[in-house]
Parts: sequence; structure tokens; C-alpha cells
Amino acid sequence: MAKQSRRDFLKTSAIIGSAAAGLSSSTKAAPKNVLSEDRMGVLVDTTVCIGCRKCEWACKTAHNLATDPIETYEDRTVFKEQRRPNDKALTVVNEYPNTTSDKFPINVKVQCMHCDKPACVSACIVGAFSKNENGSVIWDGDKCIGCRYCMVACPFQIPAFEFEEALKPDIKKCDFCIERTSKDKLPACVEMCPVEAITYGRREDLLKVAKDRIKNYPHRYVNRIFGEHEVGGTSWLYLSSRQFEEIAFPKLGNDPAPGVSEAIQHGIFAYFVPPVALYALLGGVMWLNKNKKNHETDTEN
Amino acid sequence: MKTKLLIFLFALPLFVFSQNKVEKLHQTQALNCKTCHSCDIPTKENPCIKPCPRERLITIEQTPSDAPSILTIDKMKKTSDIYAPVVFSHRLHAEMADMGGGCRMCHHYNPPGEVVGCADCHELTRKRTDLSKPDLKGAYHQQCMNCHRQWSGKVECESCHAQNGSAKKTESKPKTDLAAKQVHQKVNPPELVKYDTPKANGKIVSFNHTDHVSTFSIDCEKCHSNESCNKCHAKYKPASLANRSVADKHVICANCHNTKANCSDCHKNSVVGSFNHKTRTGFDIAKNHAKLTCNRCHVEKGKFAGLKADCSICHGTWTKENFKHLITGLQLDETHADFECTDCHQDKNYANPTCKNCHEDKTYPKDKPGKLVKKSK
Ligand code: SF4
Ligand code: SF4
Repeated sequence: MAKQSRRDFLKTSAIIGSAAAGLSSSTKAAPKNVLSEDRMGVLVDTTVCIGCRKCEWACKTAHNLATDPIETYEDRTVFKEQRRPNDKALTVVNEYPNTTSDKFPINVKVQCMHCDKPACVSACIVGAFSKNENGSVIWDGDKCIGCRYCMVACPFQIPAFEFEEALKPDIKKCDFCIERTSKDKLPACVEMCPVEAITYGRREDLLKVAKDRIKNYPHRYVNRIFGEHEVGGTSWLYLSSRQFEEIAFPKLGNDPAPGVSEAIQHGIFAYFVPPVALYALLGGVMWLNKNKKNHETDTEN
Repeated sequence: MKTKLLIFLFALPLFVFSQNKVEKLHQTQALNCKTCHSCDIPTKENPCIKPCPRERLITIEQTPSDAPSILTIDKMKKTSDIYAPVVFSHRLHAEMADMGGGCRMCHHYNPPGEVVGCADCHELTRKRTDLSKPDLKGAYHQQCMNCHRQWSGKVECESCHAQNGSAKKTESKPKTDLAAKQVHQKVNPPELVKYDTPKANGKIVSFNHTDHVSTFSIDCEKCHSNESCNKCHAKYKPASLANRSVADKHVICANCHNTKANCSDCHKNSVVGSFNHKTRTGFDIAKNHAKLTCNRCHVEKGKFAGLKADCSICHGTWTKENFKHLITGLQLDETHADFECTDCHQDKNYANPTCKNCHEDKTYPKDKPGKLVKKSK
């Protein structure tokens, strides 16, 4: 029901894109978007990861998501298929065969990369996403109007929508354990990892650590740090013994991925309509829609 | 100039001081400072120790019997832990490591002096500023999993840890006793290993281990280094050899043998017994050379051909003056003692003397040019 109405809504709002509407300054995208020099990051060394999936458990536990007991994570049959993070698991570990040694398969942890130039931030027309000073890209449920542009824009297909949640669906993705880090704790996965395959630290420092590892063990790694430059750089950085495309990393350029709203914006320029008007229109309509939805919810309750 | 001098004067006492302090540990070792330190004058305040690039560091060997037998790894223990500390059978692991690369397989930074424990370098806290090396928990697990993954292919926590507060929780006391008793059983070296190879002509390679160890006195490490437990314990051993490339299969033999040519030296159609110098080369070393090591005669390392049973190569030219025939157990009679060696010995190896130069009707050893005595040295 909710699903249907939202999809309709998306369609209509795109069609009536050029019509004028009243401005509402509060809905204008206002990303914090500060790229601090001291922003944090995580270095994932896929040559160290043993695929124990304890990070998955830690993540679910830290985010109050339903989880089976920790012993069940020893089950490696899940690796038979490739999994994606979703609204029930904000991070997942996948496995790829290692052609040089079958005893050491390659495991890759997947989650939001916390891009430096996040497409989700530029795609979101109400500014529900923001890049924060500590490097995290955070979604704000109060602002979100459920347009799901972020899902389309993300080059890593990360933001997930709680399709099963009929009443108040959220966008779900790794939040860099913002609650824990604000209390000076480590992200839950980083704290849990038995082998420290994932290292938390200043992004700058991590890049140095990664470069040192490549320099000291040139046979162990390909000479590339995924996330150093991809889509304008990401907070999560990866080291690998294989070309990244071989272990299912998307082939991406070094330019930031365009947000969906930017694309629309450019289209609008062709018709000589100032983008602010579009923002206002889209934002205004969605805002109304959301309020209406909330209202419905209220009455239903 | 002045400043330089000042700096020098200032640095000198520091330098001397640090030299004195390190004397005991460092001076006997003839080390290059730059092996471990990145700056010119390491001081106590700033030792500028390089992060350990394991291969390049100096290392010494200890024996497993010097090592503690069990250790409970509880330095990182917290009350909130899901898993209980590991009771680690250190001696057992040291013995296993001894069959491979020794202590340094785990103690990768292993300079002379007291053994450096993991916690001496790896920090207890994961939230730290020096990210160049893993924290203690990471370091332990990385080290353990490296072998355990090969060993069992599994990464289950509970193969080493008890789970805190669960029904499965095991008392650490019995586990401690068990770990203390565990030793790796003595490895009995094989005498002869027969390999069935896919080679059409010369299917069988008889590897005589005893020959290589005793007769050729080859050090164990020459062939056995950096071995994993799997070498003996792998489930599908024959298959694993079959899967390897030709070069890979011969890699250890190729240390000494030319495996690219001379296939038939080792690849035969039947099992070959232990090495016999006489049958293999025609020169019997059993009589006079049995106690010598191979390299007394085969001086060039790894090269065995070319001596052609020519005594003069090692002994120089023998003449009737410089050779005491008595040494052979045969004392020449007066007539024969006057002859040149070559009058009777026409082979280079002096093995089969001939009488034909003078006597038509005599042959050795039926007839003897003197009398037999007890061999002297
Ligand atoms: S990975 Fe996707 S969701 Fe995460 S910051 Fe980048 S664009 Fe946004
Ligand atoms: S906890 Fe660490 S080792 Fe285990 S799967 Fe996650 S990243 Fe890999």
C-alpha cells in the first residue's frame, strides 16, 4: 500500500517538475559537507580478513537489529551466494575463491563507504543525508521524505529501504556507529574483528599505513588502495591481493558520482528554470506528502 | 659552521651515552644500526625503531625446551568478553614450529636476548594512534589463524576459546593440565620413500632419506624449512603432489641435482637401494675412503662428476719414493720395490695391477709381488 503510493508519487513529481510551487526554505538541501582533515576512516585489509562474520554480528547487536546467536555465524554456507547489505544487515561479508591457495579464500566486508563526495548527499533533495566532520555519512529520519533518490544515486547501492515496514519505513545503512564513536568508542565491527582486518583511524593515517603495507609486502597486495581516489575518495579504504574488479568491486572513475537531483537540475536548466524552483517544487510536494502520510498514520493509530 | 660544531658537541655526549648503554646488548652482535633504527643517532628518548619488516631483521634460535609449556593468554581479558581466554599449549606449538621455521614463525621480531613476547610490541588497546602494527588481539589472531586456516580450513572461535557463561563453558583447570602434557610425537624420519611418478620411462624414484641425512650429511633445514603441518597431516597428500607443476615437484631436489637433465639418474623402473659408490661410479670407496665425507674429494660444491677415479687428483703423483706400499697391506719384496708404480699399475685408480709387463704366466691376486701384512695407517 505504502509502497504503491510512494512510487506513484515519484512518477508524478517527476512529470510536474517544471511547474511553479511555493517555496519552503526549510526543505532546501543544506548538507553540512565539511571535509575535515581529521576525518576518520576504516582500512579493510582483505588479505587479513578470515571471513568469520563476527563483524556482521557486532553490527546487528550495536544497531538493535534482530540476530541469531553468535555461534551461528560460523556457518560458511552463506558464502555460496553473494549478499548485499540491506535493511536487516547493514554490513555483510562475501567470499571469493583464491586461485593461488584454496585454504585462503578472499573475504570482503561490504557496507557504506562513507564517501568524501557522497552521491547520496547530493541526491537527497531535502538534505536528509549529510557528510559529517568525523567522516561519517548520516541519514536523518526526521528530514527524509522517502523519495529513495539516495538508493538510485549511490554508486555502491548501499542505502536500503525498509520495504516490509508499512508504517514508517526508514532508509537503512551503515552509520559509522555514530552513536558509539561520539562516546569515544570504536565502531562495533572494528572492535569485534578478531584479526583486526579492519582498522579505524584518521583517513590520512590509514592511507599511510596502507601504502606502507603495499611497500613492505609488494607480493601480497595489488598496488592500489580502493577508496583513495574512487568517486572522489571514500572514508572506507580497501587493500587486496587481487584486482578489485575480480572481487566484485564496482568499476568506478575518480570523479564524484552525480546525485540524481543534480541530473534533474541539469535537465531543468535546459528549460531555463532555476534549480531552486525545482528543489522547492519537489521538496514542497514531498513534504506535503510526508505530512499527509504522518497524518494518516496518526489517524490509523 | 659554528652551529654545526655546537650541534656536534651537544650530540656527542648523547651518542657516547647511548653507545655505552647499548654496549652489552648490541656490541657483541656486529649489527648494522640501520637494520633496526631509521635515524643516525638513536637515543633512549627517540630510538627511531623501524616497524618490523620481518624478513629483514636479525634473528636467533631458541629451542622448544627453553620455552614455557603453557600460557594462558589473558592480557586482553575484559568482563564483557564473549569468549574466555585461550589456554595455549606453547611448548607443543614451539615443537611444531621447530619443524618449520622455528620460533620466528611467530616471534617474527626475534633479536638476541630475551625472547620478545607479543605484548611487548603490540598494544593492548585497539583505539590507538600508532596504527602501523595490529593491536594485541589482532596480532594473536592473525598469527594463529595463519596456520589454523590451513590446518582445518575453519575459523571457529570455539576450537580455541570457551564461551563465557554458556553451557559449553569448560573449566580451565583440566584444560591447563591437558595442554601441559601435550607434546608433538617424535617424528621418525623415513629410510626410503618410493615415489610413483607419471613419467613413462622411469616411473619410480627411490628417495633414500637415510643416505641424504647420514651419508651425504645434508642439514635437515636444507630441505625442510618453512614447512606447514599440512606437509604431513594433509588429508589428500598424494593428490596435492600430483597437482603441482613439474618445476614445483622438483624444487627441493633441484637444490643439489640437475633435474632439468639427467632424469634417469633418479627416475628408474625399479626401486633402488641405498647409495653405493662402487656400483654407482665404479670406484669402491669402502676399502680406503669409507670414513671420509663426500666433500673431502668432491671439493667443488654440488659437483660430483669429473674425478674419474683418478687418485692423483687428490693425492698428487705417487712415485716409488713417496709411496709406502706397506700401507696397502702388501709389503713388496726387494725386486718389486725397485719398480716404478706404473710398471704394474696402469689404471689411474691403481686397482688392478698387471704382471704382464714381465711375467707371462702370472696374475694378480693369485700371485703376489711380496707378502701380505696387517694394514697399517
Ligand atoms: S556509499 Fe553510497 S550511501 Fe554510503 S556515502 Fe557513498 S553514496 Fe552515500
Ligand atoms: S570480523 Fe574481521 S575477520 Fe571477521 S569477517 Fe569481519 S572483517 Fe573479516
